[in-house]
Amino acid sequence: MTEAGLPVFAADLTAALLATGAMIVDIPIIQPAEPFLDMAGEDLRRRIFLTESETGESLCLRPEFTIPVCRAHIAEGLATPRRYAYLGQVFRQRRDSANEFYQAGIEDLGEADLALADARAMAQALALINDLLPQSALRLTMGDQGVFEAVVAGLGLPAGWQKRLIHAFGNAKALDEMIARLAQPFEPTETHPAISAMVAARDEPGLAAHIAEHMEATGYSTHASRTPEDIARRLIEKRHLEATRLSDTALSALRRFLALEAPLDRAQATMSDFADGEGLDIKTAVAAFGARVAAVRATGADPATIAWRAAFGRPLDYYTGLVFEIAAGDGAVLAGGGRYDRMMTLLGAREPIPAVGFSLWLDRIGMLRTAP
Amino acid sequence: MSGTLTIALPSKGRMKDDAIAAFERAGLAVGTVGNDRSYRGRIVGMDDVEVAFLSASEIARELGTGAIDFGVTGEDLVRETLAQVEARTEFVARLGFGHADVVVAVPDIWQDVTTMADLGDVAADFRARHGRRLAIATKYWRLTQAFFSTRHGIQLYRIVESLGATEGAPASGAADIIVDITSTGATLAANHLRVLSDGIILKSEACLMRARKPGHDGDHRVRAIAAAIRGI
Repeated sequence: MTEAGLPVFAADLTAALLATGAMIVDIPIIQPAEPFLDMAGEDLRRRIFLTESETGESLCLRPEFTIPVCRAHIAEGLATPRRYAYLGQVFRQRRDSANEFYQAGIEDLGEADLALADARAMAQALALINDLLPQSALRLTMGDQGVFEAVVAGLGLPAGWQKRLIHAFGNAKALDEMIARLAQPFEPTETHPAISAMVAARDEPGLAAHIAEHMEATGYSTHASRTPEDIARRLIEKRHLEATRLSDTALSALRRFLALEAPLDRAQATMSDFADGEGLDIKTAVAAFGARVAAVRATGADPATIAWRAAFGRPLDYYTGLVFEIAAGDGAVLAGGGRYDRMMTLLGAREPIPAVGFSLWLDRIGMLRTAP
Repeated sequence: MSGTLTIALPSKGRMKDDAIAAFERAGLAVGTVGNDRSYRGRIVGMDDVEVAFLSASEIARELGTGAIDFGVTGEDLVRETLAQVEARTEFVARLGFGHADVVVAVPDIWQDVTTMADLGDVAADFRARHGRRLAIATKYWRLTQAFFSTRHGIQLYRIVESLGATEGAPASGAADIIVDITSTGATLAANHLRVLSDGIILKSEACLMRARKPGHDGDHRVRAIAAAIRGI
């Protein structure tokens, strides 16, 4: 048995959230499961509490707030920019800790000044935790997928390879494997002989027609799944990928970049030095990064206390730029956040809406407050 | 030593016959109680051991609950049914029958997709091109998730539950690809499907499994049964 109800500091935290100017929203505990599975992938299925409605709709206990907050915003069609705050229980199947626990956070939707919104999210997360844990040393670590994308583009890899690497960004193991494969010569894919000849001739229309014919003959629909054109395009693209082998220089540059880390006040110089040394042009990404550092400084936070790591990211396709987390001295993660510009349109917004947010793990914060 | 031990054997088909034959080769003759359609039996010469004939999937489940002590069933069913399978059960012996592979198969006409990495590329772009995630028809939720997510870092797909005729799902449009069991590959070929070169999730066969129960420590019957089957 544990103490019932809200964390003891919930009232103070709610007041602090309101004081940021965000609007507190109420999100139903029972949510349609589809949007969560659609955004985060099937792996989430075994970590949420699923049930079914009488009519067969998949429902779940709210596993997090960001997706329902964004969906509520889209459903109500409110004007942006707008910032939403929440505090409530989330439910996840966890082996080592409680299945229900509290989270609070802010979602900042539609702020066109990305640097300002990024800096504000980090500063507010830090300030909120500082208020709750005035004695604790906190460590904020951040990364930026935009800089990685610029480095990958600068290395002159084919688009298909860039996509693969960007997709794996944030998953160190997958990324390592991808880079290792880039260093190896490829075995060309074996295909049907008729197809091989057309691939070699780069005859995309001919390939598509041949594939369509085969699909019709074998009873496959040409539009229900991948189309003949999709397959033809990728066959040719893949032949191109197979012909690519990353040069040793480019390979070691990629590895060196991923190993970079620096306090935020020196991060820009670190990445610029790297780019100059490798002869890469990543100026646009570095400038956007610098604007964010300036915005962090403007919030009153000291960039020297923030750690930047080049490889820090999250391998989910809706994260687009900033990713950060705040940890206590013992390494426990107390807050996580980031920019997810791609999510709003994936969830059905008609126009792209830039978005950044964070959530605080109140169970871990509560534990540190009571720790001797 | 405590109570009666229960060994569960498959209740029908080739699996039942092969399991009984394996036990007999190990010197553990299975006798039936009542007529030979009965769902209960015994091991000849062991009074405090009973045999229960259950469906293969039920055996996998009951190993997890500990309602039975030993069971013969397919590794695929055990790994699919039970989380933390190594902690809850012991693979006592692989029995050399009931061979089948759990595989990832795509339409053969997807000539550009030969590896899981290819499939990862296709999955990553699927939503943008088709307005939905790549759909996988399978009855193996757990094995599929572990293989795609944990082993290959592929997150962007949806599972469409399929309890029969899974091989037909891509042609009928119910799903894009499948994860299913195959022994000869003939059904896959008949449905114009092809296994990816690194798409074998599990090479399964019938196994003697033991539910890990504290009462088994020091139980000479448990040791004797395991040793006899291992010695085949």
